[in-house]
Amino acid sequence: MSGPNEDNNTQLSSHIFGDLLDSIIVDVASECHRIAKLGLDRNLEEEEEEMRLSAQARARVADPSNSSETNTKYVVDIFGQTHPSVATEIFECMNCGRSIAAGRFAPHLEKCMGKVIPISSYHISICLYLSIMIDSYYDREFCAIP
Amino acid sequence: MSHSHKLVIKSSMSRPPPPPPTTNKDQQHQNPSLQEINIKLIQSGEKERLKELLRERLLECGWIDEMKALCRAFTRKKGRNNVTVDDLVHVISPKGRASVPNSMKAELLQRIRAFLASTAD
Repeated sequence: MSGPNEDNNTQLSSHIFGDLLDSIIVDVASECHRIAKLGLDRNLEEEEEEMRLSAQARARVADPSNSSETNTKYVVDIFGQTHPSVATEIFECMNCGRSIAAGRFAPHLEKCMGKVIPISSYHISICLYLSIMIDSYYDREFCAIP
Repeated sequence: MSHSHKLVIKSSMSRPPPPPPTTNKDQQHQNPSLQEINIKLIQSGEKERLKELLRERLLECGWIDEMKALCRAFTRKKGRNNVTVDDLVHVISPKGRASVPNSMKAELLQRIRAFLASTAD
């Protein structure tokens, strides 16, 4: 093979490879587009629902006309901290990877853990730890001395 | 018509139909054009085999999952009813082209070069 032919071959090969890759990229994009449009991505549907409910919960908390029976705004715990009645910190669920507000974490875990997802003991212990923390939130709310 | 239903046509697919290959012997001494190579690739079935090989390798190394994750993240932000195929192609192309493992690229290039050599006689 002569020199120029080899360079040409190298250039051709790269171009052909690029074509193949682009074609696969279009395939992947088309498939994802189809899944998105048909609503086949159940995780996305449920996440949208979760975000909606979280936003609702946060709006309820922020609304000053919503006062609970025990006026939790001025309740102080033993560390001198006040807490909102609906925990608003956002966690990433280590089971499914979604962002969930802490106040909605327990119901989310209920649904999430019910699915067939491999889960290590490390994940289980973190879930337990978080569940305990969330429970203690509510304990503080009712047990704090006004 | 809704733009989102148009497929993206890549440059290689939008060329006019290639002329039929000639039997002129002089042709063999010229550098084969990309069009001619493409014809040979497609007619021999090698293009399909190469594409399947590349797709399989990309699947094995998690590249396809990575691209799908990028698509989902984008769809989450933009809203699934506002996303077009064009959007997704633009989202994954730069990262996609850059993150093909070198060994995989080398394997495919070698095979393509072998094909070019086999058709050059």
